Amino acid sequence: MRRVAISGIGMVSPLGNSTAEVMAHARAGRSGVRRLETPFASRLAAPIAATVRFDEGDDFDAVSARMLDRFSLLAMFAANQAVHGSSDALAGIDRARGGVFVGTGMGGTHTMDSGYQTLYGENSDRIKPFTILMGMHNAAAAWIGIEHDLRGPNMTYSTACSSSTVAIGEAWMRVACGQLDVAIAGGSEAPLSPGSLKAWEALHTVATMDTECPSASCRPFSKDRSGMVLGEGAAMLVLEPWDRAVARGALIHGEILGYGQSNDASHITRPSVEGQAAAMRAALLVARADPHDVDAINAHGTGTQANDRTETAAIRAVFGVRADHIPISATKAMHGHLLGAGGALECVLSLLAMQHEVALPTMHLQQPDPDCDLDYVPNMARAGVAARVTLSNSFAFGGTNAVLVLQRADGAMR
Amino acid sequence: MTTTFERLSAILAKDYKLPPERLTPDAPLETLGIDSLGTVELLWNIEDAFEIKLPPEPVELTTLGDVVRYVDELIARQAMTLAPAASAAPMVPSLRSP
Repeated sequence: MRRVAISGIGMVSPLGNSTAEVMAHARAGRSGVRRLETPFASRLAAPIAATVRFDEGDDFDAVSARMLDRFSLLAMFAANQAVHGSSDALAGIDRARGGVFVGTGMGGTHTMDSGYQTLYGENSDRIKPFTILMGMHNAAAAWIGIEHDLRGPNMTYSTACSSSTVAIGEAWMRVACGQLDVAIAGGSEAPLSPGSLKAWEALHTVATMDTECPSASCRPFSKDRSGMVLGEGAAMLVLEPWDRAVARGALIHGEILGYGQSNDASHITRPSVEGQAAAMRAALLVARADPHDVDAINAHGTGTQANDRTETAAIRAVFGVRADHIPISATKAMHGHLLGAGGALECVLSLLAMQHEVALPTMHLQQPDPDCDLDYVPNMARAGVAARVTLSNSFAFGGTNAVLVLQRADGAMR
Repeated sequence: MTTTFERLSAILAKDYKLPPERLTPDAPLETLGIDSLGTVELLWNIEDAFEIKLPPEPVELTTLGDVVRYVDELIARQAMTLAPAASAAPMVPSLRSP
């Protein structure tokens, strides 16, 4: 197996649209969760979401953008930024050995929502001609492949909230085993359409709004947590063999040491301690690491009662007494739950945190919960945490758990 | 009176953000970024804007001028089809139901 370097990072997120901006906000504990101001917000019990500030007109010509759902626009923006920042990782490659791996839970939900509004809301048959092409889940990956002329595998993974962790992990395997020389991998999600917002509300997993401070509505691991807050955004990585990245003098952001996956095979929504622990163990096994090698964890940490309690128990099951000494960050309190893009953004935050030697805070953790008794770095970033290896956890409805083992660029484990 | 070309150009300038100086009758659609798939969508928008109904048969359109001629032909054909009805009911404001 070859070592795999991360040589490009791109994102458009509720915390900002560049590594510098995202890191500054995450470190300061600023939340990207906002009160929704759209007319439809009045029909929501909790009119809040983590939104991105993004003007498609700045980055895409209007003719091309007509064929792109918002999730594809976000994906393209992030992928272009990652490639641009990679010091030409795609130059000179055999295009058949370059792949695209994208995770998305909901695909082009804005487009589909708009089509249904026409069909049922307006009782009209005037569905837009591009509806299928914009709504399909693989649209984002397809457009990235077209834009960057990548002719190898073009894959889309839809495993709900672990989609982009799966996408990155599967891309890592292809590069590590020698099948690919470059991969663009990550996730994109734009789930803030009216139909999607109401569907999530109906599931009773979204947080109630903190009326005094809407941006503090998501409270992972706090006893008064009431659920997740939906977010939109995309994050993409450029992966390539470590030796190639070094040889061409690329700036290396970190290394993927391993990727593990498990399936709960028990309940469609209820998380499982065994399933989550199995994914973490599988990732460590593949990375040839043991629990003592792990210095930090970016938790799935959704802010639901069930996940946070279960994840705490799963971390304890894997790490034993060491669990008490690992700083655990639940960054969704700040950037919301990006569903199929969440794992990719959290992977990026894990890399940046290691690079900056900081443990990112779990914000809005005001009430300790006896069932959540680990070190969650509450409410304030912790400087001087020189983590070499970080676990990034993603657990999903449907039961697909996925975990990445990440190492800082100058890490010494290998 | 506004011509079909002017109306079409206005759509392309407003919704497709194409610079007016590139919008000439002999401009190939491909060079404007509108390929055969894009033409399908453009015609869908034209149906609304010009209140006409496109026939199901496929049509090959290469330039903006081709689109203008096609639209003019459809307008004329549909006006003829509706002429007897129009004389019986002169207040019909549109060729399509709202």
